[in-house]
Amino acid sequence: MTDLAIRCSEAHVSYFVRTNRQLIRSVIRGQKPEIRVIEAVKGVTFDVNVGESVGLIGPNGSGKTSLLQAMTGLLPLNKGEVLVKSVPTFLGVQAVLRPQLTGWRNIQLGLLAQGLSKSEAENMTGSVADFCELGDFLDLPMETFSSGMKARLHFAVATALAPDILLIDEALAVGDRSFQKKSSERLEEHRAKAGTILLVSHNLEEVRQSCQRVIWLEGGVIVADGPANDVIEAYEAS
Amino acid sequence: MDLLKVGESVSLSEYLKRLWAHRHFMIRVPLEDLRAQNSHTFLGSIWLVLNPLLQVGVYFLVFGLIMPIDRGVDQYLVFLTIGVFVFFNSQRVISESTRSLVINVGLIRTVHFPRAVLPMSATVGQALAFIPVFVVMTIVVLAYGNWPHVRWLLILPVFVIQNAFSLGIGLIGARINHSYRDLENLLPFVFRLLFYISGVLYSVDSVVEDDFWRAIFLLNPMYCLVSLWRWVMVGTSTGVEVWLATGVWSLLALMVGLSAFRSKETTYGGTG
Repeated sequence: MTDLAIRCSEAHVSYFVRTNRQLIRSVIRGQKPEIRVIEAVKGVTFDVNVGESVGLIGPNGSGKTSLLQAMTGLLPLNKGEVLVKSVPTFLGVQAVLRPQLTGWRNIQLGLLAQGLSKSEAENMTGSVADFCELGDFLDLPMETFSSGMKARLHFAVATALAPDILLIDEALAVGDRSFQKKSSERLEEHRAKAGTILLVSHNLEEVRQSCQRVIWLEGGVIVADGPANDVIEAYEAS
Repeated sequence: MDLLKVGESVSLSEYLKRLWAHRHFMIRVPLEDLRAQNSHTFLGSIWLVLNPLLQVGVYFLVFGLIMPIDRGVDQYLVFLTIGVFVFFNSQRVISESTRSLVINVGLIRTVHFPRAVLPMSATVGQALAFIPVFVVMTIVVLAYGNWPHVRWLLILPVFVIQNAFSLGIGLIGARINHSYRDLENLLPFVFRLLFYISGVLYSVDSVVEDDFWRAIFLLNPMYCLVSLWRWVMVGTSTGVEVWLATGVWSLLALMVGLSAFRSKETTYGGTG
C-alpha cells in the first residue's frame, strides 16, 4: 500500500476582491463597497501518493495557483478539506527574500527561516550556493539579480531541505536551459526519495518530462486526471 | 498514516516550540538589517549613537531652553533623556512589528515558519538598536552625579516587561495591518498624541494633583513604563500601583496579541 501525501476532497476556494475598500466613496457617492467573490476552485477532489509527481495544467485563470495556495493555507478553503502529510513548500516566481542583502546572506536567512540552527545553516550554505551556480554574483545584493538568477537561488533554498511536498508554480520557467535541466534532475531525485511534487506549468514539454500524472483544470473543476501523455494530448486537442 | 488538515492551527505549546526552534533566525535577520541599514552613510554605525544624542539635543533645546517646561523637575536633561529613549523604543518596536508582515511577504510566501517570528524578530532588532541608546542614557545619568544603585539590577527585568508589552501591541498591529494598511498611516499620529500625554516631557505629578486623574494615567501603559524606568535609573518616586499596572498591561498585551495574531496565522502572505 502506498502512502498518501495529499488528499483533496471537494475543495472549494474563492477569494474576495474588494475593488473599492475606500470608505469615502461609499459615504459620499453612496456606493457600496464592491466585493467581488471569485470562485477560483469549485469542488476539486484528488489524491496524491508519496513519491508521485503530478502536473497541473489548464488555461490562465483556471484555478491552478489558487488550488496550490489553498494547499499551503495561504487562501482559506470555503468548503471541503485538504489533508497533507506535512505543510507543503510553495515555490512561486514572485518571491524575493531580502532584496538589500547579498545572495550569500539570503541563502543563510532562507535556511534559518526553515528552522535550521546557525551551525547547520552555515554547513549547508556552500552546497546551496554551488547548486545556484551564481559564482561571484552571490556577493551582490539580491536586488541587482535578474529574475532568472533570483529563481535559481530561490529554487536552491526551497529544495535544500527536501520538503515532503513541493508545490511549484511556474518557478522553473524563468531559468535558462541548463538550470531547467538541473532543477528537473533535482526534482526527480527528490521524488525518488519519497518526495511529492505538484507542478503548475504552461510548458507542456516540461510537464511531460517531470510528471507521470497530469491533472487538467479548467474553470475551477477537473476536466481530466490521468497518465501524463493521455491528458496532455487531450488538452492539446481541445 | 496521520494527515494534517491544512489551515488548522497548532496548539499553543506546539506553536511556542516552533518559535523557539527559529530563535537563530530571529536574531540573525535584525543583525543583517542593522548592518545593511547604515552601509550607505558616510558615518556608518556611528549613527546608532549619534541619532539618540541628536534627538535628546533637539528636545532639550526646545523644552529645556527655549520654552522651559521643566517645572518641578530636577535634572531635566536626565528626566527628558530617559523619557524620550524609553518611549521611542516602544514606538519603534510597535511600528516595526506592525509592518513586519507586509515587508516580509516574500519570505512568508517562500518558506514555512511560524509567522510570529517576524514581529518577534523586529522586537529583537529594536532591542539591539537600544544598546547604544542605553549607553548614551547611562552616560547622561552618571554625568549628573547619579551613581549606580541596587535598583539598576531591575534594568533588565523592566526592559523585558516593556518589550513584552510592545511586542503584544505589535502583534495586534500586524494582524490589523495585514487587512487594513490604513493602520500604518495612523500610527505616527497615535504615537505623537501618546508622546504628549505620557509625561515624557513634563512631570505628571507636578501637573495633576487629583487622585482620580492620577488613576486615569495608570491606564496609559506608556506613562507607566516611562515612570518605572525613571525610578530604576534615578529613583524618581513611583508607587506600587504603577508596577502593578505595568505588569497587567504587559501580560494582557502579550496574551491578547498572540491569540489575535494566531487567529489569522495561515492567511499571512495572502491578499488580506
